[in-house]
Amino acid sequence: MLLQVLASGLSAGSIYALMALALVITYKTTEVPNFAQGDMAMVSAFIAYMFLTDFQTGFIVAFGAALVFAFLLGVGFEGLVLRRMRNPTHLNLIIMTLGFTLALFGLAGWKWGADQRRFPFPVSASEVVRLGGVSVSTLSVATILIAAVLMVVVFAFFRFTKLGIAMQATQQDPIAARINGVPTRAVVGLTFGISSVIGSVAALLTAPLITLDPTLMWDALLKGFAAAVLGGLNTPVGAVLGGYLLGVIENLFGAYVSVEFKSVVAFLIIVIVLWFRPSGLFGRHHERKV
Amino acid sequence: MKSILNSGLRRPQMMALLLLGSICVQGCSEPVDESGVRGVTDDTIIIGSWAPLTGPAALWGAVGRGAEAYFEMINEEGGIHGRQIEFILRDDAYQPSRTVAVVREMVERDRVFAFVGGVGTAPGRAVVDYIMDKEVIWVSPATGATHWAYPPRKYLFAQYTPYFDEAAVLVDYVVNELGKTKVGVIYQNDDFGESGLVGAQVALEKHGLSVVEAVSVEVPDTDLNSHAVRLRESGAEAVLMWLTPRHATIIVGAVGRLGYEPQWLASSVLADTELMYDLTEGAWEGVIFAAIGELANSGHPLIQEYKEASARIAPEERASEFFLSGFRYAEPLVEGLRRAGRDLTTESLVEALESLDGFQGIGAPLTYGPDRRQGTRATFLARTINGEEAERLTDWLDSGVDIEQVIQRLEGSE
Repeated sequence: MLLQVLASGLSAGSIYALMALALVITYKTTEVPNFAQGDMAMVSAFIAYMFLTDFQTGFIVAFGAALVFAFLLGVGFEGLVLRRMRNPTHLNLIIMTLGFTLALFGLAGWKWGADQRRFPFPVSASEVVRLGGVSVSTLSVATILIAAVLMVVVFAFFRFTKLGIAMQATQQDPIAARINGVPTRAVVGLTFGISSVIGSVAALLTAPLITLDPTLMWDALLKGFAAAVLGGLNTPVGAVLGGYLLGVIENLFGAYVSVEFKSVVAFLIIVIVLWFRPSGLFGRHHERKV
Repeated sequence: MKSILNSGLRRPQMMALLLLGSICVQGCSEPVDESGVRGVTDDTIIIGSWAPLTGPAALWGAVGRGAEAYFEMINEEGGIHGRQIEFILRDDAYQPSRTVAVVREMVERDRVFAFVGGVGTAPGRAVVDYIMDKEVIWVSPATGATHWAYPPRKYLFAQYTPYFDEAAVLVDYVVNELGKTKVGVIYQNDDFGESGLVGAQVALEKHGLSVVEAVSVEVPDTDLNSHAVRLRESGAEAVLMWLTPRHATIIVGAVGRLGYEPQWLASSVLADTELMYDLTEGAWEGVIFAAIGELANSGHPLIQEYKEASARIAPEERASEFFLSGFRYAEPLVEGLRRAGRDLTTESLVEALESLDGFQGIGAPLTYGPDRRQGTRATFLARTINGEEAERLTDWLDSGVDIEQVIQRLEGSE
């Protein structure tokens, strides 16, 4: 039973980890949590759904279209909405992301309605693989693998490509980066695009499990945010580990202690962690030196 | 407004005008209706309703649109005693604060004669006192809570079988007919879910049994794997689920992956068999559910008639259980209007509704009386078969549960 619970935790944690990673890479550039992350991903999932059902395309075309859309949505949100604000404070920007999420939610409700829909997917949530006494769905296996591969790719991109390093530089010190010839504006836009793509992968993996409707990513966004705070909002690796940790803790607690308080325990742990480590479990503490 | 501003009125005159206007908002808001009865004219009757047409609960907007189609059908047939029904459907997005606003507007500005349907327990509770104070008749709140008819109120006629009655009938059936003694419950942690749990507890106690495991689900939860593990560990042979379609889909999938196969029992909220089969990719097979209206795929003559009407009037709508339930909620109101005759007043409609005795449309037989405001407590059971359909298992059944006992427990747990 323990292994079964761990497997479930890992699968749920993969989604949290993706959402946490998506949040953290934009947070590092703007220092603002993007609360529209979840609904941007939800709309991308609907785009895939539209291709699959209305245009009858295959999975590759539909998912490709969704990811391209997600990228453009991210870049567009940054370039056409956030950047247009005059002397924005953090609070202005946060309210902007909240407003954008309401707009997307309304748009999805108007365009696709609120009915629950089955989301077609190449592998199934009910098809089971047995691995040493543990039953896992092929969808869970795919979720765990795809999330892991995507995260490795993202980290490799940041670490080893010129563009990735330029992004890190922009995150650390935009002015110094610009002086050194980094086109920081384009880089910030690109960051939002990549973040949106990561989020929409999470949405595409969530929809076949929990059915598609405009509330698709509410839970994932909340848990992803919690995971990022737990692991550390300024460390992508920490946020990802926070995601897995949260998924596992929740499932252990739900199975052995109390299902009623399963969702609450996550937030309780976060409060305790923040008490002792304000930058999260894996975050480095910023100390301001005078 | 613009013309007043530009017309060269000086400030004192403006003030006087505004003052007059504000007096009128207070004093002129009760226009005299043509026939002396609010919302009734020589050739129309205004009926109001609300439903979540947008927002997270918009799935249930179909209830309101179903009622709309039904009134349209009645109008096509010539209306009632020479009057056409003018139906006003407002969107409250399932937010009680907005329900209050739209209901006030319908009473005070649109001057509705009566309300019908109205989706949701929390939205309904937010407006019930106001509607009763205004002495407006409200027929068939679209929710199975116990807040409507206990105690009875003069202008409120409830139809929806209380949720706990459904739960009790389901549990009785698995114990008596299927011989199962270990029953688990998975329920949404709110008013709706708790009534399912209490109904199951009360029914099991009659048999000297108790619930072997009860796990609750919060509305935003999406990972129900540990719920599935707990149900399996409890050894429950039958599991009652008091959930929304999304959570039902997730738990059926999670339990199936464990290779655990309990007999599922579901509330009438999950009676849309076509939808549930689609969402669960066929895992909905063999589920026994409570139904409070004739099934959409049954050969019942009224169902056929309603489906034909909705194909004509609202071709874009799927004739789902929710959509057809809008017809069902409006049936007793239309019957009451017919019986009240041409001289329609609030009092004459109350009297007409109280005369319903075993009146049946596509729901259970309804009976009201001077002290009786819950039209029925009956439900029937059906089982999903053949990967797409539902077969009826029983006739209309009454749980026979003592309602006072249940209400006490529900209030105790609040």
